[in-house]
Amino acid sequence: MSVENAVEKITSNPRFMRNVTFRHTLPAQPGVFEPIPSFLAPELTELLRQKGIEQLYIHQARSLQAVQEGHDIVVVTPTASGKTLCYNLPVIQALIENEEARALYLFPTKALAQDQVAELMAWSEELGGKIKTYTYDGDTPGDARKAIRSAGSIVVTNPDMLHSGILPHHTKWMRLFENLKYVVIDELHIYRGVFGSHVANVLRRLHRICQFYGSNPQFICTSATIANPSEHGAGLIGRPVTVIDQNGAPRGKKEILFYNPPVVNQPLGIRRSSLLEAEAVAHELIGANIPTIVFARSRLDTEVLVTYLRNSFHKLGDTTEKIRAYRGGYLPQQRRKIERDLRDGKVLGVVSTNALELGIDIGTLQAAVLTGYPGTIASTWQQLGRAGRSNEPSVAILVANSSPLNQFMIQNPNYFMDKGAEFARINPNNLYILVSHLKCAAFELPFVQGELFGDVDPQEILEFLAEQMILRKVDQRWYWMSENYPAVDISLRSAATENFAIIDTTHGQTRVIGEVDRFSAPMLIHEGAIYIHESSQYHIDQLDWERQKAYARQVDVDYYTDANLAVDLKVLDIFAKEELPQVRRNWGEVIVVAKTHMYKKIKFYTHENIGWGEISLPEQEMHTTAYWFSIPNGLVDPVDRDALQSALIGASHLLGNIASLELMCEPSDLGVTAQIRSPFTAEPTVYIYEKYPGGVGFSEQLFAAHGRLIRRALSIIDHCPCPSGCPSCVGPVEEVGLQGKDNASWFLRRILDLESNQQAPAVSPTTEHSSHTHT
Amino acid sequence: MSTPFGSCYVVQKIVPLNEKHGLWPVGKALQVTTSSIKKLGQHPPQDFKISNSLFLDTETTGLAGGTGTYAFLVGTGRLTATQLVTKQFLMRDYNEELALLYLLDQELQKTDTTISFNGKTFDLPLLQTRFTISRLGFRGTHNHHHLDLLHMSRKLWRLRLESCSLNSLERNILGIARNNDIPGFEIPRRYFEFLQTGRGELLQDILHHNVIDLISMVTLIYHLGLTTELDPEECHCPWEAEALAQIAINEGDHHLAILYLEAARQLCTETDQLLRLLHLGAAIYKRQGRYQKAAALWQQIVKLAEDDLVAYEELAKFYEHRAKDLGAADQITRRALAIAWQTKSPKTPALEHRLKRIERKALG
Repeated sequence: MSVENAVEKITSNPRFMRNVTFRHTLPAQPGVFEPIPSFLAPELTELLRQKGIEQLYIHQARSLQAVQEGHDIVVVTPTASGKTLCYNLPVIQALIENEEARALYLFPTKALAQDQVAELMAWSEELGGKIKTYTYDGDTPGDARKAIRSAGSIVVTNPDMLHSGILPHHTKWMRLFENLKYVVIDELHIYRGVFGSHVANVLRRLHRICQFYGSNPQFICTSATIANPSEHGAGLIGRPVTVIDQNGAPRGKKEILFYNPPVVNQPLGIRRSSLLEAEAVAHELIGANIPTIVFARSRLDTEVLVTYLRNSFHKLGDTTEKIRAYRGGYLPQQRRKIERDLRDGKVLGVVSTNALELGIDIGTLQAAVLTGYPGTIASTWQQLGRAGRSNEPSVAILVANSSPLNQFMIQNPNYFMDKGAEFARINPNNLYILVSHLKCAAFELPFVQGELFGDVDPQEILEFLAEQMILRKVDQRWYWMSENYPAVDISLRSAATENFAIIDTTHGQTRVIGEVDRFSAPMLIHEGAIYIHESSQYHIDQLDWERQKAYARQVDVDYYTDANLAVDLKVLDIFAKEELPQVRRNWGEVIVVAKTHMYKKIKFYTHENIGWGEISLPEQEMHTTAYWFSIPNGLVDPVDRDALQSALIGASHLLGNIASLELMCEPSDLGVTAQIRSPFTAEPTVYIYEKYPGGVGFSEQLFAAHGRLIRRALSIIDHCPCPSGCPSCVGPVEEVGLQGKDNASWFLRRILDLESNQQAPAVSPTTEHSSHTHT
Repeated sequence: MSTPFGSCYVVQKIVPLNEKHGLWPVGKALQVTTSSIKKLGQHPPQDFKISNSLFLDTETTGLAGGTGTYAFLVGTGRLTATQLVTKQFLMRDYNEELALLYLLDQELQKTDTTISFNGKTFDLPLLQTRFTISRLGFRGTHNHHHLDLLHMSRKLWRLRLESCSLNSLERNILGIARNNDIPGFEIPRRYFEFLQTGRGELLQDILHHNVIDLISMVTLIYHLGLTTELDPEECHCPWEAEALAQIAINEGDHHLAILYLEAARQLCTETDQLLRLLHLGAAIYKRQGRYQKAAALWQQIVKLAEDDLVAYEELAKFYEHRAKDLGAADQITRRALAIAWQTKSPKTPALEHRLKRIERKALG
């Protein structure tokens, strides 16, 4: 069946369409072309002709021109617009002109790097093998590394490897750094928040090393649509950039549908599971032989969806293995195989976490199903854009879940369409991150008095590190004075550096089947957990916390497990505060202690709770920054304790979601907790803390946005159709009680002071942007 | 000592050739031969002379490697016809590194070979990194040949010693006992403490430790050469004899290898080693085409180790293809198969296949 027919079939079903809140057709668009510039090497022009490329898309031609003129550029065009030519052409041109020239490609994931190398190899072959391209990552065998260091014309790697494997050993890469002409950064928008703040510092270190070896490479970056490519690009690479955003690539017609699962329990405000709804839609598409990708929000959801989809096809007697999962926890070889099978058409349905959101080249996908709002508008466009890379029509369906953020988006599609992409924010001068990278930089080369690090004068921090006896200052230089190798202790992506291995012991074997990071371990692989891998269930028999191993045994049960995380929080320091008669708000440093106490067993399909178990694992501690507010006891005394409790739970549930909307960050970047009588304030208190050691500046922004947050929260409560509380506003009735909505509403109005009880617009677009520091 | 790049501290010591360090006077090392070094897997220059070599040992600010690890003390030793001269280059602070590298480079340019202990993976790459960072165009060890005494020692004594660290070699082979030696892991911390306090006595132990390392390396290379040149009848240690047999095999001298194996067998007291020796011997005979002799050794092996499938398989091949004794081949293959089934050996299918073929041949 063609995509159009499949869409026709789906959209003519009134039961389906009743739940569709938004339907939008992006029309097909013709390409905009420019001639191949004359300065391009003849053999390259010839090669393009052989590939059937007689002229370039306008953004490709403009990129070439800008790079030729010596600019650092950021190319902002949608998925599948031929972005790779924007950097491959200048790089190959440079290599044809000078065989000694070098280029460094940075991709956020290994999978992307692999794809790129395959493409470059093909180019190289056609150009007579002069261009040597290598990937350099954790999987590169030891004996190959030496050759790459000296002979690789193009070194393809990721920021993590640059950080921990290349820069600290720059002498071994002398040839690369002496001759470095271009640095290519693909998927620039991924480098935002904590990760981006780290990467900006890694690039500062790269600049230092290049300067040392006498090179000054040009930067060629590509990005999905973000609101501030110029600012973000400049923030990351530390220099002004030229933005090229006129997309010349043709586009096939794309049908976009927003689907809100029906309410199945009106009093409780419970909607039908987004997993089940997404499964049904995906089943329809795959059943019509439409190659489909289904995005799930978590690893667990990925596996549950694969199980559901396989089962539903098996029930119909279709036993072919056409559904595959694809997620970060898989080992590299497994991922490669899935990617191959997708390309070869052996697989028709892929269920993925956001690993595939990035530009991995699987040209055959024609439909995308998003299980839940991906958290940001940019991500959503990326995922919607995953299907239909060619000129052919495609369909993308967003299936909302019950979270307030999802419900807000699905009920306000105009916000989604009009708002455009969000701002990518980084804070490279986050003290915690900055200090980490100053250490690495000092390890790599001594700092000279007066030397800047990016736009920062690091003098004060260097003095501090010297006091800590990590650096030593002699003759106006700071030298590394420690036995340690600082980069190994600093992970760019999360606080947890070590992964836990999951070992399958079924039939007396010992086989590693996957891994999870330290932070997720207590939730996912506690003893008694059901860990799902490739649709098989494994019971975790033993978790060896010290050795970071979990021993699992294959089982066949009809439930999965879900662990509860309890969070305790203590205030260490206050950076700023404001005290009003009705509310006191603060921004400061806190210590968060997280512990998992118990888990629930949840039955497949019915999702009923069929038992529980205890978890006894060590607490995990984190120093971070938080924004919190409390309400004076005098104002809440008349209220009974249960009502207050309910108000706090409801308000924090809602505010956590609103805050991520305000900050345009992933909801998982923030944690929320409430204390009915905080040991610190001695008052009812709501805390929103950053889930990154030291914080990246989110809490300071929240502190500033306090009033807007509360007003938006109230607006959502007022507009939610549920009677007493539901997952889409203050949380389910089971958690907040029958008066939950009223309690939370009363509490929030109290904070705003009764007089200021007026309606704020649902959401006013945040247009200001800033990169606060608290150094 | 001052240089065009500032100054650093140099400690020079003269050790007379007849000064004994453990078992040997240091001058003995003058006798070491090119051939013994080659036998131990290293590549000296054509016209190798120990007097053209520089013994080298670094003390560093850590073991992590990378560009932030410094060699704050580089000890060198040069053996001449009359004496051993050790020069230790010490940076008293980070600003003396260039001078240290300059002086070290001068020493290196006077010689053509570096002799180190574990320098291949540690000292030399680290120094090369330091030379590169200095951006002064030093050649360093770039054109040097390099002899790594750790690798040579492992060739000879891996079987005999649990550890081939310099410390273990000193105690177990060279008869050297160190008193009050600073443990290696304390050295970086001690140096950092010196940098902060300026108390020179903190460095005394490190300088002493480093110079002893150098002198031990001198007697070690002699002892390595001496052992390599032992005749089979001069061997007193079964593991050394086995190592020498292995070296002879690598050199392609099967006749000599058999003699060392014989010596080792006479000295040997452990079944594990005996089995290894028998396998080695049988493999040599097999390669020489002396199948009867090889078979005799495999027979000995299966008597000692009833589950040794390799020996069974070799015997089966021997009876089937060489002795053409299908009855014996049948019997031995069945015994092998019984073991293979029991131990779930991956050889099982091959053995089953062999048995079928033997049965077919016997019938046909």
